[in-house]
Parts: sequence; C-alpha cells; structure tokens
Amino acid sequence: MRFSLKTLAALWLAAWFTGAAYAASFTVSLDRDAMTLGEQATLSLKFEGVQPPDAPGMPGIAGLQFQYIGPSSSFSFINGQTTSSTTYNYIVTAQHDGEFTIPGMRTTIGGQQLSSQPLKLVVNKTSAPSAAEVNSGNEPAFMKFVFPKTKIYVGEPVVGRLEVYLRDDVQNFSSFQLSGSPTDGFNAGKTAELQNQRRRVQVGNHVYTVIPLAVPLTAVRTGPLTLGPFTGGAVVVLPAPEQGGDPFGFFNRGEQKQVALATESFNVESLPLPVANQPANFTGVIGDFTLAATAGPTNVIVGDPITVRVQISGRGALDAVTLPSADAWRNFKIYPPTTKLEASDQFGFQGTKTFEQIISPQNSDVHELPALTFAFFNPDDGQYHTLTQAAVPLTVQAAAASPMPAVAANKNAAPENQPPQDISPVKETLGTLSPPKIPLVAQPLFLAAQSLPVLAFLAAFTWRRRLEHLANNPRLRRRRAVAQLVRDGLPDLKKFAAENRADEFFALLFRLLQEQLGERLDCPATAITENVIDEHALLRGVPNATRETLRELFQLCNQARYAPVRGTGELNLVVAKFEKTVAELQEVKT
Amino acid sequence: MKTFSIGSRRRQEAQIKNCRWPMADGRFKQRGFGGVILFFTLLFAANLFAADLAADFSSANELYAKGKFADAAAAYGKILQTGASSPALLFNAGNAEFKAGHLGRAIAAYRRAELLAPRDLDLRQNLKFVRNQVPGAAQAESHWPSWAGALTLDEGAVLTAVAFWLTLALFTARQLRPALGPKLKTATRVGVALTLGLGTVLGLQAANHFASATAVVTADNATARSGPFDDAQSVFTSRDGAELSVLDRRDGWVQVATSAGKSGWLPLNQAEVLPGA
Repeated sequence: MRFSLKTLAALWLAAWFTGAAYAASFTVSLDRDAMTLGEQATLSLKFEGVQPPDAPGMPGIAGLQFQYIGPSSSFSFINGQTTSSTTYNYIVTAQHDGEFTIPGMRTTIGGQQLSSQPLKLVVNKTSAPSAAEVNSGNEPAFMKFVFPKTKIYVGEPVVGRLEVYLRDDVQNFSSFQLSGSPTDGFNAGKTAELQNQRRRVQVGNHVYTVIPLAVPLTAVRTGPLTLGPFTGGAVVVLPAPEQGGDPFGFFNRGEQKQVALATESFNVESLPLPVANQPANFTGVIGDFTLAATAGPTNVIVGDPITVRVQISGRGALDAVTLPSADAWRNFKIYPPTTKLEASDQFGFQGTKTFEQIISPQNSDVHELPALTFAFFNPDDGQYHTLTQAAVPLTVQAAAASPMPAVAANKNAAPENQPPQDISPVKETLGTLSPPKIPLVAQPLFLAAQSLPVLAFLAAFTWRRRLEHLANNPRLRRRRAVAQLVRDGLPDLKKFAAENRADEFFALLFRLLQEQLGERLDCPATAITENVIDEHALLRGVPNATRETLRELFQLCNQARYAPVRGTGELNLVVAKFEKTVAELQEVKT
Repeated sequence: MKTFSIGSRRRQEAQIKNCRWPMADGRFKQRGFGGVILFFTLLFAANLFAADLAADFSSANELYAKGKFADAAAAYGKILQTGASSPALLFNAGNAEFKAGHLGRAIAAYRRAELLAPRDLDLRQNLKFVRNQVPGAAQAESHWPSWAGALTLDEGAVLTAVAFWLTLALFTARQLRPALGPKLKTATRVGVALTLGLGTVLGLQAANHFASATAVVTADNATARSGPFDDAQSVFTSRDGAELSVLDRRDGWVQVATSAGKSGWLPLNQAEVLPGA
C-alpha cells in the first residue's frame, strides 16, 4: 500500500495538532520549600501546550507577597514531537515566619480546564547575629536599629535609624526589602534612606559600609513599648571562589547570595504628658517652636478684608499644629484659613507652617487685632511653653463714609487677585423638582418630530414643481382639463339618459366629442366636425372600428335635431360607446 | 342581551346631545367623574409629595447650618433617593459632602447639578473651589468652549429644533409663494447658518454627553487594578475627588484612564460614573 506525499504531510499535521491539543498542562512550582524570613523564593506557573492571554493574577495569601517579574517561553521539537511552554515567574516574599500553603490554582484557557496542586512553603524566623558573629567578619551584611531615646512622650515625633552594614568585599547590594517592622504602639512613617549619610566603619577585622535608613515614629500609647526586631532581606554579590587561571581576579564576576537581615528589639518607655501647668489653650502640639504673625492692612473700613499671616516654625509634630485660637475675634467675620507646610526635612518633623486667614471687622468699635497665643509641650525640657504675639492696633472707619467694598457688595465676587476662601453657602429654596429623564436628543418622539418640517417642505416643493410643469406645457394642461371635463360630463350624460332628455343628452355628447377631439388634434373644439375623422392624419392612424364609432356618434348627434325621441336604453348604449371611444382616443399618441 | 324601548333611546340621545350624564347604565358618568377625582387626587398627592420634600430639604439645610455636615449630606441623599432632583438640591448636597470631607462625592453632586443648571455661578465657583482642594489632581484642560457649556443638552436641542423648524418654514413659504423669495432670502440664509451652527454645537454636546463619561473617585486612595477582579495587580492609586475618563464598564467595575495615560479598573463602590457635560 502506497501513500502520496500530500497524504503523509496531512497525516503529520493532523498528528501535530492532535498532539498539541492533548498536551495542555499547567504546573506550579517553587524553587525551594523553605527559606528564612527576608529571603525570596521564586514561584513559576508553567503552561504547556496552551498560551494564556495574560499573566495570571495570584491569590491573596495573608503573610505572603507576590511580585510578577516576567514570562519565559520555550519551544522544542524532538523526534517529531513538538512542545511549547510559557512560564510566568513571581518573586515570593514573606512578611512573617510560619508555614504557608499556596492553594491549587484553576484556570480555563481555550475551553480547557487546567488546575495545579497546592504547594507548601516554610518560612523560618530570622534572628540578629550575635556580637561574636559580627566581629568575626563572617557576615557579609547585617542590620542594626538605633533609637535616640529610651524615654519619650506620647505624641512626640522621633526618627529611628535602621543601619545596614555591608562588608567591604560586597560587590553589589540589591533587592533590599523589609519584611517585618514591628512598631506596636507607634505611628510609623515611611522608611527612607538618609541621603549623603553613608559612612564606613571598622567592625572586627573588616571594614563595613553603613547605609542609614530613617524610620519616623510617633508614640501613640503610653507605657513600655517595644520596637523591632526589624527583619528584611537583600541580595548581595560576593567574590566567587578562586577557580584558578585568573590570578588577578579580572574575570571574577562574583556570585549572588541572598542574605536575611534582622535587628535586636529595642525597649522604650512612653510617658504621658504632664497634667500640671498645662495651658488652657494647649492643643496637643509637641516639639519646640517659634511664632511670628503679621496683619494688613491696618487702616480699613468696616467690612474690608484684613489678611492675618501666622507662621509657626520649629521641630516637632508640625502636622498637629493648628491656627492659634481666635476666640477673642468676636467683632470680626472670619473666613476659613489656608494652610501651607514647608518642611525642611523629609519627614515633616521640622519646618514652617504658615496660616493665612482673611478677617473683616464688623463695626468701627474695633481698635486692635487681639493677641495670638500658641501653647506647646517641649519634650527636651519636659515643660509647657506659651508663645504670644502682641495685639496689632487697627484703625476701622464706619462703612457709611465710603462705598461698600466689593467683597460685601457681591457674594459671588472674590477679592481681586485672590482666590475664594470657601464655597458659596447652601441654597434656601428647593426649586423645581424633576425626575431624571432621557435627554431630548435620545427621545424617539423628539427625533421623529423633526421630520415634520422636512415633509412639509417636500410636499410644498412637489406641489410647486407640478405647477411649474403644467405652466410650461399648455397641451398637457388642456389634456388634463379635457379629461376632467369628460369625467364630469359622463355622470350628466347618464343622468340625461336615465331621464330620457335626449336634447340635452346629445348637446352634451356633441360638446364632449368636440372637446376631446380638439384636444387630441390640437385645434379649437368649435372647429371639430364629423369631417375631421377622415381628413386629419392623426385620426387616420386609429383603428377603423374607433373611427366608425366616432362617425356614428357624430351622426347620432346630428340626427337628434330632427329624429324622434329615443328611449333610455338606447341612450345608455350611446354612453357606453362614447366611454369606450374616448378611452381609445386618449390612448392615441400625439 | 340588553334591549331599549324607542322612548328610552330617544331620551338617551337627547341626554348625550345635551351633554347630560347617564348613557345606558350610568357607567359614563361614573368613569368621567372618577377620572376627575383621580386627576385631583394625583395632583393633591404630587403637591403633598413636593411639600414633604421641601420640608425635608429645609431640615437638611438646618443640619448644615448647625455644622452637622455628614447628617446634612445623608438627608440630602435621602431626598435624592426618591428620584426627585433639582439644581439646588444637588448643589446643597455637594456643599454638605465637601464640608463632611468627601471631595469626590461633592464633585459628583456639583457636576450632576451642572448638567441641570450650567449657568449657575455659585455652582461653578464651588466646583472649581472643591477641585482645587483635591491634592495632586491635574484638571484636564477642556477644549470645550465655555459658551457651549452654558446650555444644557435639552436647551441646545430645543434651540436647534426651533432654528431648524423656522428655516424649513421659510423654505416651505418660498415654495408656496415664490414671490416672497427675494424678501425671505436674507432670513433664510440666517436661518441656515443658525441651524448649522447650533446643530454642530448640539452634535458635539451630545457626543460629549453620551461618549465621554467620567468617573469621580469617591474613596481615599482608590486602587486601580490591571483587571476587573480583586486579586488583580495594583496599577495606580487615585485620591478622593480625582476625575478620570471612563473607558469601559464590567460587572461592578469601571475601567478608567488618568490624564497621564495610565489605565486600570476601579470597583464601582469607589467611584461615581457621570455622563459627559
């Protein structure tokens, strides 16, 4: 039995496609079963024989984080068997130690249900290296936590330091990630590297580079608190062991190593703010500050705006700083203030907070802007302090002496070159209520109504064209007029026949014949006699029977003048002949 | 089967002619009278409903005046849930939401009010003010001329329809009375220009309304994801009050794009979708 080349090729393709269709599989694997907290594992999702449209989303697992790093593909052709696979890779990091289960995943691709087996990952606790281990120089990298105080006040902002030590022979340091930052009882800000503060220190027999990271912390609870241990991980590149043949190490590109980092925990005593000597206007601001205030203009009329600018500068919880109390400003209309914070450090713990407030005196009895006071607690000396800005003298004139200022004249108009300070007030009346409705342009009735003027125009246009056509064609006009005349005359003929009024019948019949023939022959109706039937060329072209009938009708009309009265039946026959003949005449082309 | 005597039929015909009530069995009288009662009942109910809403509106205003902004916002929202709406109601709801710290909801309420009353200066000012409070939100520059935004879509439709009808009436008159042609020439040209101009504006307005939906973020730091499901990767976060272009909607999610060109999916409970202006 012999197969042709085409048959063989078709069988091969069918086998290939069949093989590809049945080879679809989905496997999930980890590059390790266990790791230390701070290290990273790689999770691979491998699809064989199918191509998912996008990287699959990972399930949420408490304590584990997945970061997609990209796909890889492979294609092989071995012994006529074709396989293709796509692998999606994810970095897995743990946020705490323990045993984690990555559940089996299911996906549907091209109508095929694919699923994977669950995986287990054990994450072991990290502990800070001992002093002996550090001094031995065996640690390529380690981490320390430094906190400047052992006693702090609740609400006091303090910047702690995480210091990452890198041994001198570390060629590269990357993928640093904190996996655990226990700061229970603190409000922790964003950890950031302190710029330009790297330094080199001697630890044991080795030199280390120290990378300082700032951890802004504010105690929110009183009592003994614990910071850390902070844990994390990073990838370092260390010189590879000597392979020989490269005595100078020119080609030593190093080897990567994951390192787990951990600090000791640090105990802090968080103290409550003292109750004794707490000023009445203290609002909970902790730090060390200065106060400056300006106001202008100071010579105004009632209702004029005065801009009060208050600047509070210093170190501490600037976020908590509010505008000093203005309880004494009863004779002023007060608009909401605007606030601007200019921090001189990256944590907002040092800088200047500026408040700008618009006020306007309500009467001319106002003579000064009341004094401003600002109270804060200084944790350095453990004392409350009150700053006072002296009252500012004002000259306020009655409004009647000059026109009303623009701000009072129109509630919508903001002072010139000044943005509005607040939103416009609420409206007092509800206004006309209406249910939500479809816009007119989407309502079929509205759209259909727009066709009415178009139809009216088209009707008028057609009518106009018809009129013009008739006006330009007198023969057509006459033909229509005669046709109408005949249509109107036929009932009369039948009527006269029914009433046996032969005289009127034949008079009308003769007239209708004249009109019809006159129109056909394009000559005056009064000029039509029986003779035209034989004389006119046009009528010579019509069938003989028609011409005979015409002649008969004319003769009947002539005989009626002297012949006896005919009966109704005979007249009806004449009407039928007339109708038939006129119809035939109207068909004649002129 | 019902039969009538000649006398009764004549009487009925006379009664119908004289517009008196009972026809055969009194049903017409009852139906007509019932219709009148129904009409006045509905009118009365509508007035009562409006009076109730006005009272609720005043109560909400009082809450606002007392500084209970969240309660006031809830009270305005309750009125809006009845399906009734007015520019003042939406405006006040926006004010209350803003004062309660909900920038996104305030912007959404103002923008809904703007659809009904685009020429309200207080509304425009408040919307601008609240937009300025949204941190880091870059307001996309509008290519829409301000005068075109001064009309609601319905006002634009009515104006265009009037111009269209008048223009075609002029054309029709010229067909019916050709002698009027020279006299109506200028008016016709003006009508055509007006219809074309207003029609173009209406077309742009409608395209903007139906095709350019906006999502206003109503949650703090709403996370846009790469797909419409909770496990999808985070693409970007948006602040409360950010206004984003809507690209698509699917099963409780809306696909949005920032002015920088980033796109992602937000759950609908973190954003309010509005039609274009």
